[in-house]
Amino acid sequence: MQFLTVFKREMLESGRNFKWIWVPLVFILLGLSDPLSTYYLPQIIESVGGLPEGASFEIPTPPPHDVLMMSLAQFSQLGVLVIALMSMGLIAGERKSGVAELVLVKPVKYSTYVSAKWAATSVLVLVSLFAGLLASWYYVNLLFGNISFSNLLATWFFYGLWLLFVISISVFMNSLFKVPGLVGFMTIVLVILTSIMTTVLDHILDWSPAKLSPYIRMMLSEGTISGDLWATALITIGISIGLLAAAIYTFRTKEMA
Amino acid sequence: MAELFESVNWALIAPLIVIQLILQVVALIDWFRIERTNGPKIMWLFIILLLNMIGPILYFVIGRRQE
Repeated sequence: MQFLTVFKREMLESGRNFKWIWVPLVFILLGLSDPLSTYYLPQIIESVGGLPEGASFEIPTPPPHDVLMMSLAQFSQLGVLVIALMSMGLIAGERKSGVAELVLVKPVKYSTYVSAKWAATSVLVLVSLFAGLLASWYYVNLLFGNISFSNLLATWFFYGLWLLFVISISVFMNSLFKVPGLVGFMTIVLVILTSIMTTVLDHILDWSPAKLSPYIRMMLSEGTISGDLWATALITIGISIGLLAAAIYTFRTKEMA
Repeated sequence: MAELFESVNWALIAPLIVIQLILQVVALIDWFRIERTNGPKIMWLFIILLLNMIGPILYFVIGRRQE
């Protein structure tokens, strides 16, 4: 029940901050931009590029799932940035201002406090991601070709895990540092590090969380969910839970001052 | 440029413009209600109004003071 109380308070807070308005809208914008700009690429080149008279080249129309993947890439860059910046004050800001102490003076467990905040952010991000993917999917279907709705749902589920992983990193950083700016910066650094490590150690890290996107691409083009994707999903969930546990632990052992 | 304008299907672009408008209006409403921002308040008004798309987002992410 305590969990629900903190969770509800966090939801109310996000509503007051307009997070429930602007985060979904930003994801929709990110989702729309790539199908549209890819579709209008020939016209854009024609009107701005100083091509010599008579020069023409064919731009092949990408297959539908490639366009959806472009939107995912957009979420991976700007979307992750927005999540990191949005969640950097999640706990750190409250510790700085003393609100956290007000909450924790009451018999609220650290684990409840941290996990409820994590859950509230996750719900917001997952809903936003769904809105963004839906927008992208609608435009892809309109302009490029068919992608089935079940594929969209699968993409949402697996890609959502990657974003939950990012939120978990952010919550963990929130427990380590008290300055929101530092939390945001370290979160982005850790996400980038994960991607770089996965690229460099590609042959060893077969199931790294950063591999979710490539496996989703494979799923979209081949139409089947590979075992690798499931394994990566499980690993990602595992690491996220580990990060949360670590966050609760450091939060508990650290002085609240 | 005129050709580009004609060739564009405005029904496709309309959602982008609507979303951009909503973001801007919400940011403005919040700007009026909020007491203090990070940095000079008047600066944020210009950022919200003049920078398309990015302005309101920047305001929400950075400009709002975490109390």
